[in-house]
Amino acid sequence: MGTLKRSSKPFALRAPAIVAAAIAAAFTLAPLTVSADETCNSPYISKLIKGQEDYVYVWALGMEGLGDGQDKLVTIDVNPNSMSYGNITATHSVGTRGEAHHMGFSDDRRFLWAGGLDDSTIYIFDVRANPAKPKLIKTISNMPEKTGFVGPHTFYALPGRMMVQALSNSKDHGGATGFVIYNNKGDFVAKHDMPTDNGGDGYGYDIGINPAKNVMLTSSFTGWNNYMMDLGKLVKDPEAMKKFGNTMVLWDLKAMQPKKVFNVPGAPLEIRWSLKPGDNWAITAAALTSKLTLVKRDAQGEWQAHEVGTIGDPSKIPLPVDISITANGKGLWVNTFMDGKTRYFDLSDPMNAKQTYEKVTGKQVNMVSQSWDGKRVYITSSLLANWDKKGEDNEQFLRVFDWDGKELVMKMQVDFIKNHLGRAHHMKFGSKALRKAMVEQDESLAEGAQSGAARVARSE
Amino acid sequence: MQYRARQAHSRSFQRAHGRALASLIALVSALALHASDRSAPATLGLPEVTWPNSQRASPAQIELGRKLFMDRRLSPNNTMSCAMCHIPEQGFAANELATAVGINGRSVKRNAPTMLNVAFNQFLFWDGRETSLENQVWQPILNPNEMGNASVQAVLDRINALPDYASPFEQAYGARATRESVAHAVAAYERTLLAGGSRFDRWFYGKDEKALNELEQQGFAAFKRFGCAQCHAYDEKSALFTDQRFHNTGIGWAAARNDKTYTVPLAPGVSIEVKESELASVSEPIPADEGRFEATRNEAERYQYKTPSLRNVALTAPYMHDGSLPTLEAVIEFYANGGIDNPGRDALLKRLAITAEEKRALAAFLRALTSEDQREWVRRARAE
Repeated sequence: MGTLKRSSKPFALRAPAIVAAAIAAAFTLAPLTVSADETCNSPYISKLIKGQEDYVYVWALGMEGLGDGQDKLVTIDVNPNSMSYGNITATHSVGTRGEAHHMGFSDDRRFLWAGGLDDSTIYIFDVRANPAKPKLIKTISNMPEKTGFVGPHTFYALPGRMMVQALSNSKDHGGATGFVIYNNKGDFVAKHDMPTDNGGDGYGYDIGINPAKNVMLTSSFTGWNNYMMDLGKLVKDPEAMKKFGNTMVLWDLKAMQPKKVFNVPGAPLEIRWSLKPGDNWAITAAALTSKLTLVKRDAQGEWQAHEVGTIGDPSKIPLPVDISITANGKGLWVNTFMDGKTRYFDLSDPMNAKQTYEKVTGKQVNMVSQSWDGKRVYITSSLLANWDKKGEDNEQFLRVFDWDGKELVMKMQVDFIKNHLGRAHHMKFGSKALRKAMVEQDESLAEGAQSGAARVARSE
Repeated sequence: MQYRARQAHSRSFQRAHGRALASLIALVSALALHASDRSAPATLGLPEVTWPNSQRASPAQIELGRKLFMDRRLSPNNTMSCAMCHIPEQGFAANELATAVGINGRSVKRNAPTMLNVAFNQFLFWDGRETSLENQVWQPILNPNEMGNASVQAVLDRINALPDYASPFEQAYGARATRESVAHAVAAYERTLLAGGSRFDRWFYGKDEKALNELEQQGFAAFKRFGCAQCHAYDEKSALFTDQRFHNTGIGWAAARNDKTYTVPLAPGVSIEVKESELASVSEPIPADEGRFEATRNEAERYQYKTPSLRNVALTAPYMHDGSLPTLEAVIEFYANGGIDNPGRDALLKRLAITAEEKRALAAFLRALTSEDQREWVRRARAE
């Protein structure tokens, strides 16, 4: 195993001519209330589930020869007090198998966007009308033609907008890519290329925004050729293995301009900002080098990247694939795909992340999400259709664990193979109480509008 | 009075304009002459293209073929076109993959070869299983691991349902798309992907003594001396740098036998060693590759593969039928060692007494085989 090298020298990027007027307007008009989703999502999401979640939405990849073989949104009742706890309340198949991957709520949490990394189709589900049974209301199928990008990965809410980070492009299926901004109706607004100069390598993956500091971080993975390829074939292909991102980019959020490129070797993936008030750092895990990296402001106000921890034995490529930060910024769950382990890191000193717990939670594990209070940890199994393990190791599940600070105890699981659902990937939470609050808010707004109209009529 | 003045002004303007235009034409001609001094015509060093029935396709047919070649809508989920594996910017090959990846990420067992100069190939595919471009065209379109279409009819129905194809097919063939017209159009376009005109061509065929530097000339001498030209053949009129035959270098034979150890780069400067057997849990078995034998069932031809042209070889890494050699230097080293010994190894392969300087010269010579108008291929391919 060689030594990881990092250049911490900042790259002062030339300000590219990026048209960001619409985005800037959105930031200007929208209230910049900084809040967080259940610890890991856009700070612009206005409603959080801080108590018991009622539903988990699982975006599942269709499996050839299993059930209808289609990608589908699976809704599962996860409230232990519910009569249908552990039951599937709804499945919505989307008619095709397009490598279902990630999802993200709109800022008002009424809509859940979900994407297919292969066919680049984006689906918008209404989760407000009936959170137990999401309804597909719009499909966007022209992203490649409109933008030249393919592989919609991260869906990250902006005020009145949805930012979609792509992974690849329609020209060569390599890693040069960018992100696209839609309005909440699903209309195209703008596109931005990932930087390829001043140290930028053009790759994209996740997005993390710190509105208070007007910064956005992006990370870097790989293109369609690699993420669609059989994992064994990929590892054996040295040319393909060279085509992974090794950077994170710090952007001026309002201007949507890259400001600095950090050298973060080995495909840095999910980005999580600490939600603790006063903290100004974000953390990521690099999939190939198994390193945790912290991006933090130094005493001079300059953002710097620091390697702060190692996940397992990097020479065995445990493949850290997802992380979930606690609401107080003191701890981090890390799932490693190859060894099927869920690991907990103590971030009390974020510059020195220490693993304090690990448990094998499956033969292969991918996404990890925790409840706001940190008492429940949700785990799914699928990484990518052609990267998942084969044969008996190809377990596909949602597993729900209780966490008491010492031990993960499995409370419930849904077998996605036995239920003919496919490969379980990304998760998002749903709540009856949130729906009720949204309905009351809508009624209140409607009443306000009605009485306002009556006042206008009387004054006329 | 005013009218005359306007006429006079107009005549004067025309004269001035005419003079300016003449100067501009002279300047452009001079520049063109200068440019042609520096770069060779794209076909210099190539033989004449043979068209089926001696009938060159029309511009409308060639343009339609280009459109089809580039169109991702020719796959059932709109993700794959011919150009996704034969990428214009990558020498109509794929530099980022050893072996190709098809629809839904399915594994293709061989490296995507360049389409440049494919007009001259007597055999198509690494195993030479087709001999006409028109026959070849439908294979990747229907191959379940490549573009994954269920049938010819399914593709024709899709094309004929796309409004932007109605007029081009009408113009080119006077009818809607058919099996024959699709094959004819794509093959016609492929026959126009001519890429001669390298510095070597200017030097060897154009008699421009300065076109190759001394090292490159030494490389050409080494190329002849060490017998490379026995398979990568050329003659005094033209050079395709292929004998259009099949050879066993040992790569196919070895791949079928070893529990190979791979050096896996994880990040710049960081790599690990992984044995093939350790990857079993995440590997879909790929069918064995038996080379020319798969086309002929002739035991003597097992593990033989077609000799590729060396034209534009610097643009089409990685090399060999399985993309297992990443650089020209690695290829030279492979042949310097006589390939891999095996029962069917080609008799022409033997260990060479070649010096490091001769290897360097050989690599320099191979890099001089790149056409000088490569940007033009890309511009033409991407033109909408």
